[in-house]
Amino acid sequence: MKSISLYEEKNSTLNHLDSGCKMLYMVAAILVPALIGNKWANVAVIILSVFLLAISKVLRKTVPVLSVSGIVILTIVIIQGMFRAGNTTVVLQLGPAAFYKEGLLYSLGIALNVFNILLAICVLIFTTKPSDMVENFIEKGFSPRLGYVFISIFQIIPQMMETMNTITDAQRSRGMETEGSLLVRIKAFLPLISPVVMSSLVDTKERAIALEVRGFNAKTKKTFLNERKVTTTDKIINLLLIAAVLASVAWRVKLWLG
Amino acid sequence: MMGRLEIRDLHFSYTENEEILKGIDLVLDQQSTAIIGQNGAGKTTFVKLLKGLLQPTSGKIVYNGTDLSSMTVAQIAKHIGMVFQNPNDQIFKNSVIDEVMFGPMQVGMSKEEAKVHAMDALEMVGMEKKCKVNPYDLGLSERKLISIAAILAMDPEVIIFDEPTIAQDYAGKKCIGEIVEHLRNQGKLVLTIIHDMDFVAEHFDRAVVFAKGGVLLDGNPEKVFSRAEILEKAFLEQPNVTRLCHALGYEETFLTTDDFVEYKKGQ
Repeated sequence: MKSISLYEEKNSTLNHLDSGCKMLYMVAAILVPALIGNKWANVAVIILSVFLLAISKVLRKTVPVLSVSGIVILTIVIIQGMFRAGNTTVVLQLGPAAFYKEGLLYSLGIALNVFNILLAICVLIFTTKPSDMVENFIEKGFSPRLGYVFISIFQIIPQMMETMNTITDAQRSRGMETEGSLLVRIKAFLPLISPVVMSSLVDTKERAIALEVRGFNAKTKKTFLNERKVTTTDKIINLLLIAAVLASVAWRVKLWLG
Repeated sequence: MMGRLEIRDLHFSYTENEEILKGIDLVLDQQSTAIIGQNGAGKTTFVKLLKGLLQPTSGKIVYNGTDLSSMTVAQIAKHIGMVFQNPNDQIFKNSVIDEVMFGPMQVGMSKEEAKVHAMDALEMVGMEKKCKVNPYDLGLSERKLISIAAILAMDPEVIIFDEPTIAQDYAGKKCIGEIVEHLRNQGKLVLTIIHDMDFVAEHFDRAVVFAKGGVLLDGNPEKVFSRAEILEKAFLEQPNVTRLCHALGYEETFLTTDDFVEYKKGQ
């Protein structure tokens, strides 16, 4: 079954790190530069995230993420660089188009922020199993029912996609055209969607029964199949991250007071 | 018309470094043929190629002189029908008769023609009295018969069954066995992917053993099922009667209880 989760087991250092640690990293990586309010802080954290992604062997997977947002960022750079109010210093003249220093710097700030946030999120989701993350939340008091709903998405969607493929094959085998003009596609819609809906309903019922016979709704306190192991390394990293956030808060407060 | 499939040096892979089918050469005609083999041996991929649902990486499938790759899936459907494993994958109409008429009308039959074919097909599977029922009110094994009728009504020359006996009780199996033999006697080419060796022994003229993307054994069931050591390598079992008689020390290969009873009577 094809997974829709972006996580991939690479047996890397970050894979073995506790999921809580990586969540904290994401939060700290976004908060610290925002609190310090300096572009160089952003650059430093971006470099750190890229380094972490590289040692986890998932740097290549960020390419689609960055290129999609890159297009949006590019339009921001162009528009701000040319038209931002307060643009006075021309740095680049391309025919009739003039780019101004002020606008470019401003859009650079936005770009750094966006890339920093994206990379920090990538560090978390590319190296952490979704179920580990949810279990971590449940352990902290998050509702197990909602947790299940979240995890099950990662199972149900690929399953539905697979069913959809089989159904398409089955109907094409009966001579139905599924490719071609809009009319052909509209005509194909009902024979394809009805079995998908019906089988999803049946699956849902069966899933509910399967959960219930295993005590999903039991009122007793639940234990975990996978014991979470928080190592000393995890604890040290957590402390360092919290310290970094606190230090940047202190820095900001000092700026206000001073 | 007679269906004849020629498979020449067929290769197929989903991803570059993992070949699923590694050069298959087969000629399929007249004889009803069971394709057997362990899960992952490439059986399903093979029949999907026969239906044009997948395209070979190299090699050719020729149907009555025409290369399949020159036909669309819809055109192939007219000649080669396939009954999928799970009837729920195809049923969507509100009545059995509409469901069975869908295929024939897709391949260009008129409404009247489709109705005649549909009723004939329903009769063959013994469901003609339930033609007005909603298919979802029927049990799984009856729905399977509906899905078989839906393909038979299209009147293809080649009919492929994917695991026809799954979830069928004795009566259902018997019915499907009769359908297989009836179709063969009508001159259709019947193919099946199956794990039920007893069913193969009883109803099929030829068995082809797939293993690791190639053909390991090919021949009539007596010949194939007598090769216990090779079957074991492909993780397959002999039919129950064959195993029993072998364990009892008989030299001959018996495929069905009837074979053995006859042999004993003749002694």
